[in-house]
Amino acid sequence: MKLQRRTLLRGMFQGSVAVMGVPFLDCFLDSKGQALAATGQRIPTRFSTFFFGLGLTTSLWVPKKAGLDYDTTVQLKPLEPFKKKMNVFSGMRVMVDDNPNFQHWSGNAAIATGIAPTKNSQFDSKTIDQTIADVISRGTRYKTVQAAASGDPKHCYSSLGGANTLPAEPTPLSLYTRLFGPGFQDPSSGDWKPDPQVMLQQSVLSTVSDERKDFMKDLGAGDRARMDQYFTSVREAELQMAAELKRPDVIAKVAIPGNPGEMPVNYALPNVRTVTPLMAKLGALAMATDQTRVFNLAISEPGSNIFVPGDPLGYHITTHMEAIDTALGYQPKVAEYNIYSMEILASVLKEMDAIQEGDGTLLDHSLLMAYSDQSYAKIHAVDGIPIMLAGNASGRMKTGYHIAGGGNPVSRVGLTVQKAMGIAIDNWGKGSMETRSAYTELLA
Amino acid sequence: MRSKVILAIAALLSCAICGDLAAWAAGSTQVVGLRRLSEQEYRNSIADIFGKDISVQGMFEPQIRISGLLATSTSVLSVTPVGFEAFSKMADGIALQVTDEKHRGELVSCTPKSATAADEACASEFLGHYGLLLFRRPLTASELKARMDLARSMTKSSGDFYTGLRYGLAQLLQSPNFLFRKEVAMRKGGTLALEPYSRATRLSYLMWDTTPDSELLQSAQSGELNTVAGLEKQVNRLLASPRLESGMRAFFTDMLALDTFDTVSKDALIYPKWGGAMPPSAKEETLRTVINLTLRENGDVRDMMTTRKTFLNRSMAALYDVDFTFDDDWMAHEFPKESGRSGIVTQVSMLSMFSHPGQSSPTKRGVALMDIFLCEPTPTPPANVDFSAINDTTGPLKTVRERLMAHANTPTCASCHNHSDPIGLSLEGFDTIGGRRLTENGQLIDLSASLQGKKFQDGTGLGQYLRDNPRFPACMARKLYAYAKAVDTEEVEPSVFKAAYKSFTDSGFRLRALIKGLALSPEFFTASPHVQEVSAGQTKLASSP
Repeated sequence: MKLQRRTLLRGMFQGSVAVMGVPFLDCFLDSKGQALAATGQRIPTRFSTFFFGLGLTTSLWVPKKAGLDYDTTVQLKPLEPFKKKMNVFSGMRVMVDDNPNFQHWSGNAAIATGIAPTKNSQFDSKTIDQTIADVISRGTRYKTVQAAASGDPKHCYSSLGGANTLPAEPTPLSLYTRLFGPGFQDPSSGDWKPDPQVMLQQSVLSTVSDERKDFMKDLGAGDRARMDQYFTSVREAELQMAAELKRPDVIAKVAIPGNPGEMPVNYALPNVRTVTPLMAKLGALAMATDQTRVFNLAISEPGSNIFVPGDPLGYHITTHMEAIDTALGYQPKVAEYNIYSMEILASVLKEMDAIQEGDGTLLDHSLLMAYSDQSYAKIHAVDGIPIMLAGNASGRMKTGYHIAGGGNPVSRVGLTVQKAMGIAIDNWGKGSMETRSAYTELLA
Repeated sequence: MRSKVILAIAALLSCAICGDLAAWAAGSTQVVGLRRLSEQEYRNSIADIFGKDISVQGMFEPQIRISGLLATSTSVLSVTPVGFEAFSKMADGIALQVTDEKHRGELVSCTPKSATAADEACASEFLGHYGLLLFRRPLTASELKARMDLARSMTKSSGDFYTGLRYGLAQLLQSPNFLFRKEVAMRKGGTLALEPYSRATRLSYLMWDTTPDSELLQSAQSGELNTVAGLEKQVNRLLASPRLESGMRAFFTDMLALDTFDTVSKDALIYPKWGGAMPPSAKEETLRTVINLTLRENGDVRDMMTTRKTFLNRSMAALYDVDFTFDDDWMAHEFPKESGRSGIVTQVSMLSMFSHPGQSSPTKRGVALMDIFLCEPTPTPPANVDFSAINDTTGPLKTVRERLMAHANTPTCASCHNHSDPIGLSLEGFDTIGGRRLTENGQLIDLSASLQGKKFQDGTGLGQYLRDNPRFPACMARKLYAYAKAVDTEEVEPSVFKAAYKSFTDSGFRLRALIKGLALSPEFFTASPHVQEVSAGQTKLASSP
């Protein structure tokens, strides 16, 4: 069986199209199921983000009761299977201070950095996933992996700061190729060996790094910062190669599926519904095979252009143009779109929860932060943007709670996340959003 | 052919540090521009340096649109870890091909004494040659030595001379000196003027969208490019070449925001015609139209607003309901007068890019066209606006016009909507994928519009209005300047492109005259002593309601 699997994978590298995955053998788990027999390595805790545009409808999603055993609302209903494995945060404030409220930008940038952005479409610092990856992704092949489920590589809200965001893989095929295409060696393979090419590439990269001093000469401050990012990227490529020389730890008993092939990836909702769980599954497998520990997935840009076939306007324009139904007190079509976001999130959690490893699932050994750009998109409101944290970070995060934020800065969530992920940090955010108060009641 | 180029370049190498480069070492220089190569610039450069046979595979980091231009973002963006990984793999893929058995005969100009041992002279010739072409300037002695050392150690460890070359070349290809166009200026009196190699590079990417050829590099090396006559000679040469079309295709793709097409989704349920070859064909139709008018026919640029001449392939002909009677992929076509088409504003590309998935949007069209053609961006709407009335098709307001007017009567909305909507309303005779229509929800569409005191009717009237509006050619001159220098369109002072604009108007609005005026104007190669910083307030062409 093992032999067959290797043969299949080798075939795949040489360019054959579809291969069938064959399950890993169970023998890698030790008797407690806690770690892998092969290496004795503990299961790492992973971090994920899930970005969805245009928020939810407050009257339909915020539970009345705070704390444990809160009431499941209409818009949280799709997430009910994971209620005990997640926390939801309502009423968190984004304080922009003297900065503008950049429509469809300030909210998500504040959640990702704890800082109200001073420029549109830019981050004023590294985003939270990058900060976490600096600590937890050491030694993995990829520091972070990004995917965009409506097909635009710009739909990624992970950044080292500034105007650059990390480009996302825009199709399941490109994501698959990056993760399991050339350069991927099945860690369970008996004849795993470091690729000698990698060592040669390392020498090349080190001479690129050597150019730093000369290249920086005569640069202005802005260009220096840009080249700092460039040389950081070179450094990360060097670290990635160092990681490729080491056999990764086999963590979960997973089967790598075949090449997903080409498929339509765009804003049409049925496609987003198909593509998102597929991307989530590939991301989960990448984490299960320890190729990365941080996976960022966005289903659209902040002012989401997702549309239901037959709806001439699409999601974003509908949030602005649909009238509030006076009897219902909300925008009915927008409310339907909101639910789709939650159903898609549930499909992501399902993929993560389906991977068994050690004493739990990949979701249990993860923390996933789901968040949006607006609370009430019609008027670009940013107070009370829905945030969900799923997974218990290998037991470091208590779950099952609804935290009613009561106007507390949204940065408290980010600080709590980082503490749960084991980042040594006391305060986070800037201006009115600078905080030292994590939700310690959630930290185990 | 290629070996001739190699010989010409070899002559350049004999003088690695001389002339103006001495000033470099003296420290009287400043980096005034640092631009990340765009995907097309990268691909064109590789094809020109190594030949079209060498394939480039990988994903390029996206650019962002700043004040209407992607080019501007090249002086803001860096390279992310994901982007570098891709560049690194591309570099290795290219270097592997160049040095493989199939290509080395043509692309490696010397033969080593032994294929299994280091050969300093041959490695130096190879790396120096491609170093010059990739860095767009000669390598310094220490730069060359670093690559030679790398190649030597790779040859030693592999026992193969060409493996050494491969990794030396891969290093050049992922160096920031290749991936970024570094523009270096020298201080002369109170101003900073670009050194000759930076001039050659700026001219070449502007006019041909690629790396400078050997003649341009030679004129930089000899200092000719810093003389008035020498500059004019090179500018004329570049203008006379058919390769000017590549350069202007890149400019128009950027200015007209045609890249937006790559991510436009239309509702196949409402518009089943959309999809397949249509989006790339629509983009190509517009590019062929403008290139034909401005370069092949050397016509008046303003006519791009009124011309009924276009180029169609089979899928565009189907969309426009035109019989396709041609064996080739594309055929020239002239729409009849009664078609209602008038220039590129009534082509499928512009009409469909700035629309909703299943409904036309006068506001989106108006906002985009005002910005693209008149350099008049519309501010983003205030946060707290109720747009509900516009969308209620069940009420008394049947057409988009009636619904828009109702909302534009609100004082907070009026100032902006009066600015952008008229353009869009005159185009309501075309649906969201650019098809012609006369009614909406059973009511005849009113196509009249009034803008800045001028009244006009439908797409034809709009085309004429824009053609006669002096702001249109002025805007194009401004955009070409911003594109060439990768600065923010909105921050360009009119004085800096005044000379170019004069040459443009004097010629009767010929594109070549504009380019030439720009390239020869004293402002083109000077820089302010402060490093230019561009703010990335992106123009949201595609996302405003």
